[in-house]
Amino acid sequence: MDPTTIMAVVCSVVVFAGWLLLPHSPTTVKPVVVSEEREPARVSA
Amino acid sequence: MKIDSGDTAWVLAAAALVMLMTPALGFFYGGLVRRKNVLSTIMHSFFILCLISVQWVLWGYSLAFGPDKGHIIGGLEWVGLNGVGFAPNADYAPTIPHQAFMLFQMMFAVITPALISGAFAERQRFKAFVLFSLLWATFVYDPIAHWVWGAGGWLHTLGALDFAGGTVVHISSGVSALVAALVLGRRLGFGKQKVEPHDATMTVLGAALLWFGWFGFNAGSALGAGALATSAFVVTNTAAAMAALTWMTVSWWHKKQPSVIGAAAGAVAGLVAITPASGFVNVMGAIVIGFGAGVVCYLAIQLRERIKVDDALDVWAVHGIGGTWGALATGLFATVAINSAAANGLFYGNPKQALIQLVAVGAVWGWSILGTFVILKVVNLFVPLRVHEDEEVLGLDLSQHGEPAYAGIHAN
Repeated sequence: MDPTTIMAVVCSVVVFAGWLLLPHSPTTVKPVVVSEEREPARVSA
Repeated sequence: MKIDSGDTAWVLAAAALVMLMTPALGFFYGGLVRRKNVLSTIMHSFFILCLISVQWVLWGYSLAFGPDKGHIIGGLEWVGLNGVGFAPNADYAPTIPHQAFMLFQMMFAVITPALISGAFAERQRFKAFVLFSLLWATFVYDPIAHWVWGAGGWLHTLGALDFAGGTVVHISSGVSALVAALVLGRRLGFGKQKVEPHDATMTVLGAALLWFGWFGFNAGSALGAGALATSAFVVTNTAAAMAALTWMTVSWWHKKQPSVIGAAAGAVAGLVAITPASGFVNVMGAIVIGFGAGVVCYLAIQLRERIKVDDALDVWAVHGIGGTWGALATGLFATVAINSAAANGLFYGNPKQALIQLVAVGAVWGWSILGTFVILKVVNLFVPLRVHEDEEVLGLDLSQHGEPAYAGIHAN
């Protein structure tokens, strides 16, 4: 294999293997603050 | 010279693809700003599409690609497209009409100043933006395009390789963005209040459309519908994907979660980095270039945050550093097996090419810094670069354009 191919394989292994090892920290769900109430549409008769 | 209908059809279609990238950039940037500035941010891209389309046919194309003057600039012989007709030009594209080549190049000239607009988002006065963009296109972009791509340009003659604009488009805009951010100063509240993207979905959609348009940018730069265009298409897609995967992995490791906006930014970084190399490297080289883009551009953003420069949408980190990495990597991974008209890079036995790339990168950094700084100072003599504080607080959509992006919602 030429140097470029070797580097490409190493880069790919780093990325793909990284996902197996990386931790995942879920964000605590907070209630959504509604800043603005929408007014219902008015339909004139 | 005979016009090839296949080549012509591809280059015209590619020009349309590249045209789409500028409004796509508007959406990519627009999603990243606060909702009070989204319309003005999209307007930057849309307006530049109009402005540079006219500048290019009047004098821009002639300065960039016209008959060489001292290896520095094109002459004025082709002003108003005088002499730029439908017969092919042997120096640039021997199988398509000269005007098709001019049109394709126009779209590159359009998107480059639009890229800079991300640096001064949310605070630049519209009139100052108009003046700056016109002067920058004329005195920074056009000369650099001539150096690198113009027949007789000094970097072209030196042997610098830039297939689709790593130096001409991305380094020039990214470095200029850094200068613009420094000259304009930080947004009000920068570092004190968190500025969050108002619509991440818009940003991801913009990135996806950029990716789509980039096939025209890179594969179109083959200026023909053949094997080289196919190769450029393949490596472009590969590098974008690899950079997105890498950025997401790095941010996952750093911030503990895989960022969606990070994946979109990573794809753009990969597209930037493969741009100069896309006609010279094979698919393995594209993987390495994409990986490198994901790492170095992410690190550049960390550095930019640490030194507290308010390059609002990280143009320098993604385009300046991504373009620099791509231009240097071209000198490492280029191979004549892909493009016999070019040269090998360092890993294929030609270390000289790496040095030539370094010279090209240094020259474009230097001219971009100097030109942008002078232009901003000159514009500031006539029109203040920044809006007033109360206008900035109100938002640029209302203060500069008198129109809200979203009816009934004006706050932040």
